[in-house]
Amino acid sequence: MATTTTKPDVVTSPYLLDTDIGLLRRFWRGRRWYGMEWYITTFGALILVVIIVMTLLAPVLSPYDPNTFIAAPFIPPGGGRQSLLARAGESPVQSGDDLAGMTIGVTRNTTSVKLAKELGANEYRYMLPGEVEIGLANSEVDLIFIDRDTVPEVLAAHPELEVVEENLGASYLLGTDNLGRDISSRLIWGARTVLLVALSSAAISSIIGIPLGLISAFIGGPFDRVLSLTMDSIYSFPGFLLAVAMATMLGPGLFNVAIAISVIYIPTFFRVVRGQTLSVKEELYVEAARGLGATPLSILRHYIFPNVIPTVVVVFSLNVADAILTEAGLSFIGLGMPPDVPDWGYDLSKGHQFLVAGHWWMITFPGILISLVAMGFSLLGEGLSEILNPRLAKS
Amino acid sequence: MPADVLYRVRNLSVDYNTRFGPLTAADRVSLDIHRGEVLGLVGESGCGKSTLGKALMRMVQPPGYITSGELWFDGQDLMTLSDRQMRDVRGRRIAMVFQDPMTSLNPVQSILDHITETILTHEKQTKIKDAEARAAELVDRLGITARRLDDYPHQLSGGMRQRVMISLALTLQADLVIADEATTSLDVIVEAQFLDMLRALRQEFNLTILLITHNIGVVAELSDRVAVMYAAKLVELGDVREVFGNPQHPYTQGLMKSVPNIKLQDYELYKMEGSPPDLIVPPAGCRFHPRCPHVMEICSQHEPGFLSHQPDHYTACWIYDPHDEALPRQAVTSDQA
Repeated sequence: MATTTTKPDVVTSPYLLDTDIGLLRRFWRGRRWYGMEWYITTFGALILVVIIVMTLLAPVLSPYDPNTFIAAPFIPPGGGRQSLLARAGESPVQSGDDLAGMTIGVTRNTTSVKLAKELGANEYRYMLPGEVEIGLANSEVDLIFIDRDTVPEVLAAHPELEVVEENLGASYLLGTDNLGRDISSRLIWGARTVLLVALSSAAISSIIGIPLGLISAFIGGPFDRVLSLTMDSIYSFPGFLLAVAMATMLGPGLFNVAIAISVIYIPTFFRVVRGQTLSVKEELYVEAARGLGATPLSILRHYIFPNVIPTVVVVFSLNVADAILTEAGLSFIGLGMPPDVPDWGYDLSKGHQFLVAGHWWMITFPGILISLVAMGFSLLGEGLSEILNPRLAKS
Repeated sequence: MPADVLYRVRNLSVDYNTRFGPLTAADRVSLDIHRGEVLGLVGESGCGKSTLGKALMRMVQPPGYITSGELWFDGQDLMTLSDRQMRDVRGRRIAMVFQDPMTSLNPVQSILDHITETILTHEKQTKIKDAEARAAELVDRLGITARRLDDYPHQLSGGMRQRVMISLALTLQADLVIADEATTSLDVIVEAQFLDMLRALRQEFNLTILLITHNIGVVAELSDRVAVMYAAKLVELGDVREVFGNPQHPYTQGLMKSVPNIKLQDYELYKMEGSPPDLIVPPAGCRFHPRCPHVMEICSQHEPGFLSHQPDHYTACWIYDPHDEALPRQAVTSDQA
């Protein structure tokens, strides 16, 4: 009789919890047991990573200074390249003439002036947009720069003009605003302001709210009652009105706005932490710690606080999302940043002003970014709340 | 106080303030815990066993208060200690092993942290290295390999967690270990292992154990003496064989008859009439009298004394107390209990 040997199947389960596979791969494997929440959280986190990289690399990434009047106002996205026009037959560049002695009509912005200088013209005259072609036709100047997209219209209106050179200068990915500032640069620099204000306001409110909630719930009694009522009365204010009042009182400025916003969210942290502490306080392990002679401070630090933290993380990221919107709101009504600080909320309000004139790009891009970042933080918060929820924890 | 008495409790009363009025969860309880013995404390749910256990460590939390009593532990009245001194007693002199090993460990602390923190709380000058070495030695003796020290509670089985709880109690060689329903949430096999371990540890560390449980089998298995509690009062106290073999108080008799027995063949499980009394308005006289099969007239009028009718066997029942019906008697609290 033949003997058969059966070899056990080699188990190659991807679910094996190897701990030596590197952080990234462990993170990647997390999707298998966290499911949908993992994707939500990761998506939110990715948005934030992109925004944070943008914030950190702002000097490198932004093509222009956010506060310079770099080009003509209201250049639509992708536009901004200039064409050089002359009266037909008098084109000096074509005939190889020296530009010395010629006057170039430019609208008042950095790019046009720079272009004129590059071309070798030492004389230029500032003219209003829409009047340059008239000036050229009337021989007030010898050459003009106009936007490439408007060339067909101008040529139709003034057939005596001709295009000397095309595609001069830079184009603006997201267009320019009403003062000719590059919107993409403003958005990139504005991310700094927004994140800084939102994160520091959430940090301030958590630094105040968390300890208060912990201590209030831990001590209990009249102290807890008084503090809870105080916090509830703050909470019962419409949040934005409170921020408006605080911002008016404190005046403009990055940290003033952060403080104004943080006041709204202190009660949120307080309530969440207090509620969680009240329930953790009753846990058997807290009583066991007491039975082992632990001091109240050590119980608070080692037993209650670490068990409260997961909820705080969630509230924190949701609050940052909210703070971004509030900050944008404050800037929108003019209580936010000083004018020299690029800020999404300010861009939004300017965009709103000029939307009627058909300049849609001024409001669209800051709006998209605000929604995106707020969404990133919300998704992160929601996802984390699912993942960190002890009741749903899978061991 | 005789030298063999580790803990002498006299007239201990604990009240909980409820919206319906004060609820007395332990009413003038007096008992002695001898050195090296295992004292079982049995009674039905809600009779005040756990409250008594907590009160022995002065750990009753508001709205509960110890309203009166003396707690003589090793010659020292714990009621007179400050909170700080009391904290030092807890864990070092008296340790508690809690009802549910599943939830009585901090989920965010590793086993090692639990033990070292206990050591460092009481011996602040100990170096962390030394504390860790002691922890490793300790859990090793309890049958947990040292490499599990870095695990978190959720990674351990119920039995292992209970062993960790025990190790916390043993870390500082506490004189008295109060085990509050320590086996309730364990399955029978783990429970048996746990009891074996407790018995072995008792020999090794010369432990005194107060075993609070409603599982009479566990008490019979492990205890030297047993105290029976009913409606916040002790009703019977004595040697475990004596009390369970020859119960005197009608409540204990009923309790013994209601224990499910695997050999149960020819009779129905005994059900005690009535239900435990409301502790806010307890029945006058003997608290058991509304349910007692041997109720007499005096039972509803006067409280029986907790008296010794046989050597070292105390019972609070009028049946064994020759009394004069006409003579009004106050509750007697024994000094020899």
